[in-house]
Amino acid sequence: MTDGHVTAAPAGAVAQAVDLTKVYGTGEAAVRALDGVSVEFERGRMTAIMGPSGSGKSTLMHCMAALDTPTSGTVVIDGVTVNGLKDKALTTLRRDRLGFVFQSFNLVPTLTARENITLPLDIAGTKLDQAWFDTIIDTVNLRDRLTHRPNQLSGGQQQRVACARALVSRPAIVFADEPTGNLDSRSSAEILGFLRRSVDEFGQSIVMVTHDPVSAAYADRVLFLSDGRIVDEINEPTADSVLARMRGFEPAGRQA
Amino acid sequence: MLRITLKSVRGHFVRFLLTAFAVMVGTGFVAGTFVLSDSIRATLDGLFNQASKGVDVVVRGTETGAAGQASSGRAALSLDLEKQLAAVPGVKRVVPDLQGTALIAGKDGTAVRSGGAPGLGFFWDPQGQSFTLLDGRGPTKAGEVAVEKRTLELSGLAVGDTTQAVIGEHRQSVTIVGEVKFGAGTTFGATAVLVDAQTARTLFAPDGRVGDFQLEAADGTSEATLRAAVAKVLPADAEAITVTDFNEENQEALGTALGFITTFLLAFAGIALFVGAFIIYNTFAMIVAQRTRELALLRAVGASRPQVRRVVLGEAFVVGLVGSAVGIGFGVLVAAGAKAALRSFVGIDLSSDLPVDALTVATSLVVGTVVTMVGAYIPARRAARIAPVAAMRDDLSIPAKGLRLRGTLGLSGLAVGAGLVVTGVTRDDIAWLLVGPGALLVVLGAIVAAPVIARPVIRVVAAPFAATLGVVGRLARENALRVPRRTATTASALMIGLALISALGVVAQSTKASVADLVAQEIRSDFVLSAGGGVAVPTSVGPAVAALPGVQSVADAVGFGVRSSDGEDLGASAGTAKGLGDNFDITMRSGSLDAIDRGEIIVNGDTAAEQGWTTGSKVSLAVGALGQKEYTVGGVYAPMQILATDIVVGEDLFEAAVPAAQRFNQGVFVKAAPGADLTALRAALVAEVKQFLVVSVEDGEEFQSTAAAGVNIILGILYALLLFSVVIAVLGIINTLALSVFERTREIGLLRAVGLRRRQLSGMITIEAVTTALFGALLGTALGVGLGVALQRGLKNQGLELLAIPWSTILVVLAASAFVGVMAAVLPTVRAVRLDILKAIATE
Repeated sequence: MTDGHVTAAPAGAVAQAVDLTKVYGTGEAAVRALDGVSVEFERGRMTAIMGPSGSGKSTLMHCMAALDTPTSGTVVIDGVTVNGLKDKALTTLRRDRLGFVFQSFNLVPTLTARENITLPLDIAGTKLDQAWFDTIIDTVNLRDRLTHRPNQLSGGQQQRVACARALVSRPAIVFADEPTGNLDSRSSAEILGFLRRSVDEFGQSIVMVTHDPVSAAYADRVLFLSDGRIVDEINEPTADSVLARMRGFEPAGRQA
Repeated sequence: MLRITLKSVRGHFVRFLLTAFAVMVGTGFVAGTFVLSDSIRATLDGLFNQASKGVDVVVRGTETGAAGQASSGRAALSLDLEKQLAAVPGVKRVVPDLQGTALIAGKDGTAVRSGGAPGLGFFWDPQGQSFTLLDGRGPTKAGEVAVEKRTLELSGLAVGDTTQAVIGEHRQSVTIVGEVKFGAGTTFGATAVLVDAQTARTLFAPDGRVGDFQLEAADGTSEATLRAAVAKVLPADAEAITVTDFNEENQEALGTALGFITTFLLAFAGIALFVGAFIIYNTFAMIVAQRTRELALLRAVGASRPQVRRVVLGEAFVVGLVGSAVGIGFGVLVAAGAKAALRSFVGIDLSSDLPVDALTVATSLVVGTVVTMVGAYIPARRAARIAPVAAMRDDLSIPAKGLRLRGTLGLSGLAVGAGLVVTGVTRDDIAWLLVGPGALLVVLGAIVAAPVIARPVIRVVAAPFAATLGVVGRLARENALRVPRRTATTASALMIGLALISALGVVAQSTKASVADLVAQEIRSDFVLSAGGGVAVPTSVGPAVAALPGVQSVADAVGFGVRSSDGEDLGASAGTAKGLGDNFDITMRSGSLDAIDRGEIIVNGDTAAEQGWTTGSKVSLAVGALGQKEYTVGGVYAPMQILATDIVVGEDLFEAAVPAAQRFNQGVFVKAAPGADLTALRAALVAEVKQFLVVSVEDGEEFQSTAAAGVNIILGILYALLLFSVVIAVLGIINTLALSVFERTREIGLLRAVGLRRRQLSGMITIEAVTTALFGALLGTALGVGLGVALQRGLKNQGLELLAIPWSTILVVLAASAFVGVMAAVLPTVRAVRLDILKAIATE
């Protein structure tokens, strides 16, 4: 870990990775998806992870979100060291402290929008905080769609339901994997605006993987990954600065 | 295209394996049935050929009336005829067919019996060829017997031992002097004891009459020539027949009697295949839905519709062929099981192996493969209709057609069927032509309407789960309802088996209740003596028991045939007016019961109405072995189950009409004198019948439970056979669940990602399975109980007077179905919890 792009650890880190390595396959076919990544995500901020295909950005997020197990290195989420946790503990961790928004297929088709939103609470058997629920619903503007099933909602509406679900259990951190990848630009703006508001108004911590500079510009900080390493980062990015930075190192990444 | 088919079969191996298993069970029944009937035929062939070795012509009495139990319905022939026959030129030897009942006591002192099969007595004929001496010598004087091999094995005795025996009706001490083998190796389950010729004459033909004579031709005389020569000297009531014709006749008669086994098993094969077809349909429907994109791609790159259809049908062909090939092996097991069941329950012993001939193989392969392809046809057609553009589409859900038409169609089928059944059973006599198709229509209607019924029923069934388990229960419920057609088809397979089981259960329970009621209502006897199964109570028991102190009167349960002047076969029983009147609750509509003691007959009220007979009518009848004679109807009695025969005659007429060797007394009903000590009487009865080895004494209550035990055995066999269709249904549930889990891989991944525990996931899948199984079970038991009640109503006049619903059985069936659901969920659950969350979410 010598690339020098590691951010100095602020006191308010909600998630932290130390010297994370993920190797797929063995021997000749071995691929190092993560090659010694150390990173911290600050509480109450929105971080975007960018990088070309195969750079390891999704793997990093999956390891950080306790969905995948790193080959070596340590992951700490909200004070909990994830390494070595059994499935049951991992499941509880995901349920109670993490929120997820995926690129597609975010909702259970048999449940209504409302049921989808409260799903993590229902699974845990936790009582719903009605005021918080109302706040979220109004923020994502879904009040008149609550009794609809996913197939009666547009793609943007479905993704807003997914966002509401990610927030409803007041997770420590929300991981969003290309949340706007399947949406048109107007719906994308809605979703990103909503994620932004949740950071600004509710102090939510969000980590988002994206390949779109416009999306990344909604974040407080952008990390650039290439060949399984963090190669750069920008604070307070704009679409232009992100694009410029991507152009700058992309060829190098491809050659490696 | 062939390669695509084969690759697909390999690719979906486990799924096809389950489907092939369903095919296997169905075809197994078909193959098993063929194997068993071939085995029966081979055994019969051996039996008759062996029995008639050294016989060329048979002389027997002419047919006079209907055959009753143990009664041939033919005139008996005097033993004096033997000399006349021996004098006919071309006759080498005449052997009177002296046979009767004979039992020996085994080592444990009880009678040697094989299931319910009869205990036969023959005589040792040193020149005869039916029996071969294995050990010792043939019996030559009274008190000596030779015992058939298997009988000896069962007895635990050996040659040289002395034991007790009942020969004909005479109890005596005998020495086993030899062991013999019946030519074909089996006596079809009956035990056999051989005595010397003189003893046979005295004990098997006490009245000097026999059923037939077997004639051996002198060398150079053909069967036909001998028959013609013998026919010339015969009296009017005798006829001669060549042994070839004789065997053919017997074989045909026995073959028909055993043919019911074949029909019976084929019916279950049909049920199993029908249920199997559902599983096949479901599997292919799901596989096609899953492979929409792949099949669309085939179309996009230029495959024609028929080609796509052929890909799917080709898969069905392979699966069907493999399933039915394995099914043939399974069939041999089914046949072996049936063979063992015949042996232990009925006492019929099949000596032949279980032959698998080309016809069996071909039929099974064709039936199994065709059924599979028929089951896969609709999915194949649907596959062919997939538009090439579906290859490019992201959303793969096949639009579900509305269920309204299906619901209307199914529910009206159900209604029309129910109407037919109700009409059929509310007549005096059950109208099978209405009830049969009606019942079929009800079941088919239920199958068609099942997807529509599924919604409300599953909501109710799943309600407790949803209420107690929250979102897991709700998700399970919604999953079960997601594709109502699929859930319904899966549940239908279970429904069919359970409908049959509960219909049978109602009929059986009603039978038991009715029998109990009959015993209570119609029988006034204090004791019943019986020997069970194919062994008669010796005719001397009745008079001997009647003479005991404390006995008021007795009635024998004897049945024999009577033929009316216009050739109609009727059933008759016999007794004394006092015996019948004391033991049975007989209501005379006209005339008097006493008439039978005067040589008149009394007639069942139903028969009287049919024949137009009234008290005082003169009717012409051939009673037993007597020719047509005129009898006076002395009375008409109200129809009753215990005297369900058409007519009842007096003791004297019975003895004149039925030769001693052909009398078959099923039991003796004993009425105690008023104030008699029943305990003492019972002891006296036991002591009296002890000498007959097999006769038992039961009081009313015991008799009732013995009668019910018969129903239980039959019920047990039917349940066992129906269980196969339930097994197939379970496979169907496993299959459907496994495919659902596969289809919902992404959803499961999502649920796991947002925090669903493995346990909760297992619970969700299990509840879905239990809900589906319970839906099928509820539908099945509801239909079954409905049909069972209808059948009881219809058979009211045939002895099923009381309705009894086996609630405990039904509850057990429902609980077992829930358990079946849990079991069926095991494999799919294991698969689901092992899913890698990331891969699952990334799945298309």
